[in-house]
Amino acid sequence: MNLLDLFPNLTAFNHEITSEKTIKYNCIAWVARSTDRWWQPGIHWPIMSSREDIGIGDLVLAFRSLGYDECPDGSFEEGFEKLAIYGSGFMYTHAARQLPDGRWTSKLGQLEDITHSTTEALECSDYGKVVQFMKRPFRPERQPQASEVG
Amino acid sequence: MATTAISQPVHERFQKLRDNWKAKTRHLSNVGQISLAFSYQNIIGMGPEVVPLILAELEKEPDHWFWALEAITGENPVNENDAGDMEASAKAWVKWGRQNGLLAK
Repeated sequence: MNLLDLFPNLTAFNHEITSEKTIKYNCIAWVARSTDRWWQPGIHWPIMSSREDIGIGDLVLAFRSLGYDECPDGSFEEGFEKLAIYGSGFMYTHAARQLPDGRWTSKLGQLEDITHSTTEALECSDYGKVVQFMKRPFRPERQPQASEVG
Repeated sequence: MATTAISQPVHERFQKLRDNWKAKTRHLSNVGQISLAFSYQNIIGMGPEVVPLILAELEKEPDHWFWALEAITGENPVNENDAGDMEASAKAWVKWGRQNGLLAK
């Protein structure tokens, strides 16, 4: 099954694949610029957590601990980096990070990283819809230190 | 938990459920959502008999089998420092399987 089958809003013209497939990290890790762990509550997470903390609010709290605050939309703002949280029901399903050119980057589970033009491009039955945008002042890329996650 | 011969029907059912689970969850990131897949729940429901089959899968490649293994066996051999490291977690479970006679040494 290819990406266009999994994501009905994705077209050949609104995304590009930017990495090989890997199970080393997931979308949450990718948003946090970590590429050596699969970030999951109760397993490897930036704040104290249990495995049941898989709700949308739990992910918002995790990103708050990384310096993000809720914001009303995903429009590009100079000097800020934004993220989009997707949810279905109570559960978070995905997160995407905005790039300096206003497009978005996502790691698709254990598939590839992609760049996509809009957040809507990944809305589907499994990912649901974007339920929250967050932003923080832009900071140069860095890997989170081991002491920041647990 | 000792190694016993796994019947062909059990093996075939496991493979069918595994293929279905993998096909439906490759693009997902939340292990809660990944492990809620009906096929994954069915595999957990098959109980201790399928532990050697799951371990053999992990021997081939890392995947999100850890929750099923922990649910079935009540064990978690993954070192705290390796949590979230898919490859190290898979290796820890394979080592546990060998130590417990569930995988060939």
